[in-house]
Amino acid sequence: MERYRNNVTLCGGTGCTAAGSLKIRKAFVDEIKNRGLSGEINILLTACNGFCAQGPIMIVYPENIFYQKIGVADVPLIVEEHFIKGRPVERLMYKEPIKKQPIAVIGDIPFFNLQVLRALRNKGLIDPENIDEYIARDGYQAAAKALTVMTPEQIISEIKRSGLRGRGGAGVPTGIKWELCARAVSDTKYIICNRSTIEVEPHVILEGMIIGAKAIGAHKGYVYVRSGYPIVIQRLNLAINQAREYGLLGENIFDTGFNFDIELFRCADEFVCGEETALLMSLESKRGMPRARPPYPVEKGLWDEPTVINTVETFANIPQIILQGADWYRSVGTEASPGTKIFTLTGSLNNTGLIEVPMGISLRSIIYDVGGGLEKGRTLKAVQVGGSTGGFIPEHLLDVPVTYEEITKLGAIVGSGGIAVMSDLNCMVNATKFVLEFASDESCGKCPPCRLGTKVLMDKLIKIAAGKGSEGDIDLIEDLAVEVKETSLCGLGQTAMNPLLSSIRYFREEYDSHIKEKWCKAGVCRDLCTFYIEEEKCKGCGACARACPRKAISGEKKKPHHVDQALCIQCRSCYETCKFGSVGIGPRSLREEPFCAPSAAAAGKGE
Amino acid sequence: MELTINEKLIKTESGVTILQAALKNGIYIPNLCFDKRLKPFGGCRLCVVEVEGEKKLLAACSTPAKDGMTVHTETERLAKARKTVLELLLVHHPLDCPICDKAGECALQDLAFKYGPSQSRFTDERKHELERIDSPIVERNPNRCILCGKCVRLCYEHQGVGAINFIKRGFETKISPAFEETLDCEFCGQCIDTCPVGALGSKPYKFQARAWFIDEHEITCPFCGCGCTTNLSLREGEIIRARGKEGVGINSGDLCTRGRFGFDYIYSENRLTQPMIKKDGTLTAVSWKEALDFITEKLDSIKAHYGPSAIGAIGSQRCTMEDNYMFQLFMRDVIGTDNIDSAARFGYAKAQKAIESAFGIDDLPITWDAPLKADFILVVESDITSTLPVWGLNFILAKYYGKKLVVADSKETKLARNSKQWIRLKPGTGVALLKGIMKVIIDEGLYDIEKASSTYHFNTLVSSLFACTPAAVSEITGVPEADIVGLARAYAASKKRLISVTSNASENTTSLNTVLAAANLVNLMGDAPETLQVPAEFSNTLGMWMMGVRPLKGGKDLQEMIYKADDIKSLYIMGENPVVTFPDVSAVEKKLKAVEFLVVQDISLTKTAKLADVVLPACSWAEKEGTFMSATGATHKIPKLVSERGQSVPDWMIFRNLARVMNKDLGVKGLDEIRLKINELLTSGEKKRVKPSFNLVEYDVIEKTDEEYPLSLVTANVLQHSGSLSVMSKNLDSVVSDAYLQINRNDAEKYGVEHGGFVKVESKRGQIYLKAVITDEVPEGAVFASVHFAHARINTLTYPSVNGGVPLVAVKIEGWKK
Repeated sequence: MERYRNNVTLCGGTGCTAAGSLKIRKAFVDEIKNRGLSGEINILLTACNGFCAQGPIMIVYPENIFYQKIGVADVPLIVEEHFIKGRPVERLMYKEPIKKQPIAVIGDIPFFNLQVLRALRNKGLIDPENIDEYIARDGYQAAAKALTVMTPEQIISEIKRSGLRGRGGAGVPTGIKWELCARAVSDTKYIICNRSTIEVEPHVILEGMIIGAKAIGAHKGYVYVRSGYPIVIQRLNLAINQAREYGLLGENIFDTGFNFDIELFRCADEFVCGEETALLMSLESKRGMPRARPPYPVEKGLWDEPTVINTVETFANIPQIILQGADWYRSVGTEASPGTKIFTLTGSLNNTGLIEVPMGISLRSIIYDVGGGLEKGRTLKAVQVGGSTGGFIPEHLLDVPVTYEEITKLGAIVGSGGIAVMSDLNCMVNATKFVLEFASDESCGKCPPCRLGTKVLMDKLIKIAAGKGSEGDIDLIEDLAVEVKETSLCGLGQTAMNPLLSSIRYFREEYDSHIKEKWCKAGVCRDLCTFYIEEEKCKGCGACARACPRKAISGEKKKPHHVDQALCIQCRSCYETCKFGSVGIGPRSLREEPFCAPSAAAAGKGE
Repeated sequence: MELTINEKLIKTESGVTILQAALKNGIYIPNLCFDKRLKPFGGCRLCVVEVEGEKKLLAACSTPAKDGMTVHTETERLAKARKTVLELLLVHHPLDCPICDKAGECALQDLAFKYGPSQSRFTDERKHELERIDSPIVERNPNRCILCGKCVRLCYEHQGVGAINFIKRGFETKISPAFEETLDCEFCGQCIDTCPVGALGSKPYKFQARAWFIDEHEITCPFCGCGCTTNLSLREGEIIRARGKEGVGINSGDLCTRGRFGFDYIYSENRLTQPMIKKDGTLTAVSWKEALDFITEKLDSIKAHYGPSAIGAIGSQRCTMEDNYMFQLFMRDVIGTDNIDSAARFGYAKAQKAIESAFGIDDLPITWDAPLKADFILVVESDITSTLPVWGLNFILAKYYGKKLVVADSKETKLARNSKQWIRLKPGTGVALLKGIMKVIIDEGLYDIEKASSTYHFNTLVSSLFACTPAAVSEITGVPEADIVGLARAYAASKKRLISVTSNASENTTSLNTVLAAANLVNLMGDAPETLQVPAEFSNTLGMWMMGVRPLKGGKDLQEMIYKADDIKSLYIMGENPVVTFPDVSAVEKKLKAVEFLVVQDISLTKTAKLADVVLPACSWAEKEGTFMSATGATHKIPKLVSERGQSVPDWMIFRNLARVMNKDLGVKGLDEIRLKINELLTSGEKKRVKPSFNLVEYDVIEKTDEEYPLSLVTANVLQHSGSLSVMSKNLDSVVSDAYLQINRNDAEKYGVEHGGFVKVESKRGQIYLKAVITDEVPEGAVFASVHFAHARINTLTYPSVNGGVPLVAVKIEGWKK
């Protein structure tokens, strides 16, 4: 067995791969070979390590030094300085946001050390294409235990006790779901993993499914993957084949007489197919439209047989629960929402990426402690929790503990675990419009409330964002949205109303200013804002003029500059560039009247 | 179980939804996408109800009713929800009511009136596509479609076709055939009847009337033996539409292409309006008096010269029981002959003979829901979904409910596509397959030997099966041995079995032997005779048969009258077109031209009528009152709904009048008296009860293929037509108006046949030219053609067979190159 001086893990998740981690890996392998270090330094590509905004990222063990935003050009430097001379490269280290001090060790970085890794316990540690590495980290031990010494009832009992709730969105207790399916009488049952879009190493999914199959009595499983994730698909196929080779899938697993095999199913990229019954239709090669429920999939699912559908994250938790027990699982989280949850942090945060934290942690803590707070110069306006159709939570409610119950009370959902942070640069009307455009596009078309309702609401919001809103619009769309939520057949139509209803609830003044004053104060809705330069504040540095793509800004050095409204396309580059806050965002009317800077107008002067 | 709906305690059986429980108890819950025949869809969201203990609104159509449930169907919350859904639908629905045929019968109008808002709070774009008028019969207007999905689901789940589906997504969703191509389906029109709005329309009906101009009447369809009730819409005395209504008739609203659109055949320009006598070779219009006098003179003369047995009669499977009763009464009482038969000789007569020989009973009508009650259904070489389409739906439904439907057929029919297992045997080999099944059952002891051996001729059966080993049968039928054995075992292992065979003139793959073999199998398993279902083909085949339109006392049957005897000097033909529909047309024509005196009584100037010496105009269906007996044995009263064409007279009345002129009054004046007599006839007479018996059956094809005539010609029915009557319907002709030869692609290549090109088809009896259609639905070695169309003269090639062997025709073909 090889013993290396250093093991280096490069993140091989989709994000970092897109940023070039494969090329970097090759560069490292070559450089190390050239420098004669092949036997001493091991370069390993892992699954997604979660710190996506800073990618490509790497970790050097055993010192646990973390490097971020590395490129092929940095490779010789790292090899020379770190591997050979033992001097870690500060330039490539993580910098904390306030004083920009470098933090070398990954365990000192809050983004990492505040996480509690359970589903993601192998994050950044193993090669996802090597089953042996997974096994070395206790992989398939839980499956062995479940298949050889536990009965289906015992498995279900343990899962029930753990209180694990389905991580797909609705939060149905997994143990109960499995129990219902186990009770259904049929020779043929199925277990399905929905939407493998989270990039864990594939084996934990397979192991979770094997345990689930034993619990419910299924002999065939499917992993349902969207075609737009080629790396995930490739790794899953590899993992399935490796597992089969090792006898972990197929007939007579662990000599127990239990047969179980898994097949990959690639589907089209349709949002609605995340809905259980639409997914089943799609698996049966039919049009992906949800069907009437009941009967629920646990009674009549795939091909009318009892079926359990769970997401990746749910399955990823199963092996550890079996090995370490329900009490261990309950040791973090809350009573009703035990365990950890994977969240995707996006938006105006310093640290964006994939994290796993205990349930019950406050939203404020996620954003400021793990997420590193807002980017420089930005203030927090709202947080969209639950994914593309999650509700908006305003700043004053950030102390909410993130659990299924608490989040739902606020009109949002835990959903897919998306946490999108919106700043003063975001417009709530625009954000809502975007969600409705998305929902309207993804709607399957089966029921009138969603098919027609999302379109009507989308059209209304487009109008409002274009300055064509009128009095009474808000009440109308709120009313309509409530009914659409009441009557929609499935979660798509129901949850698509969350952003709308929560934005009206918490940010009504933005709607008002769009409708009454024709003014988008965030400067996003182009028809409703005017960018102008406040003469008293302008230092005449010319930075805005250089940033302007249309050369609409003119002015002499050290003299106040001026925006030509005829040329301005309201792209906001000047506003984002100016260090002195001299660019103001005014209402549309400002450019429709003969233009004069507001201060001059206020002083009563003419031009 | 019990549940409470709107404070009313309802008792219901388990397994129903809230909506079903409500509707059964007179509580209406608004709905758009619900259809009794279909699985719940839950798409329209109008049927939402409040259930105590549930936070969300639930769709009543898809929520199972539970014991102790408390449901509210009319609350403020629900009113608001329904109002909004309707508002959304109406905003996006074109304001077409003034020009939409559905107005007045439209579910959206009705619901909007009751539950909808009177004003919309917003506007939105509507769809503005062109209507699709590029297919026959069905016009599609996607702008009016509310996407309830009933048409899609009905076509797929119920009809077993699936010609249309949802395409695209979200607001852009529409219902269309694949790739938005021209609609190509059966054109049964079921979708049109189920569409709640005017998105699907009937082209023949378009702009014909506003709904409130219409008088609607129930009648029984004149085409096949199903006996479906159709609702005819009349405007100012003219039939302009036929539709099915839920819960009405044995078909409960289901209709096929013929029943729904074929009614206009009575308005054909071909209709006879006056009696005619052939003078100097030309048919000349005369008065009734002159015609009847002339017939009297001629018939008396022939009777005097040759005796009454020189006169023969051919009755009609489409005329009413009263018509047929009077015909046979006339022939027996006035003419004094027993020479009366019908085209059922080639069809139902064989079935009846087999049933009598096997079970010792006179008749065995079909049971409408027999397929739904069986576990295992075997259909042998019978395209039931083309001959008895609406009954055929029950077979598809049975398979849908998980019954094992096995179809043994050489052609890929709709039934084969919807079966659990399709056994593709060679054409005409059904007898061999059945014998093979019996051999396996006997050899493996899968039957009650005591019961079977107590039936007559059991030993004959066993020895007749000696050589029918799976290997031998596989050789004959082309079916793998394992399939034969598997089929036999599965058949024997089932609890409730059903075999169905259609024996009729227009499908020549089944024969008397096929029915006998099937009956043998029934007796072998000790099953009741009803296990065998052999339907009577046309609307009144069974009724006509009951009236005794067949030789009863040694008279000549059809075979003898037309194809053999020289001593028939005169023929009286009612409602039948032998020159087109009888096999071996050359022989038929020869005979008809040779008789001294030919009378043809019909509704139109058919090819046969053109050969007649006297042509008498008869009233058609809907122009006269009468009674049909359908294949189920049920009698249906046919009302008179429209006035007679020209001087036409009901058939029964013609015989009454003729008898009077011939000085032998039949003693019946009107329908009431006839019906009394018919009742007497039906209730009197001992029913023959002979002991059940096995019958010796050999697999035999009468005309085998050889080097000179290497292909088998199979005659088949198309769904859209029925005999030669339906071709008078312009509506049906707009779908299928020509006979064509269906040929397998390998054979086409071999014989130089192009798709759409002409092909010469020749048998020992003659040759014809047909257009070719290359399709994989037909096997190699056989070609298929339908017999409905006079101009195609398919029956030039065929020959009659009333006993035993399979009447496949051996032909040779040649692709005709331009």
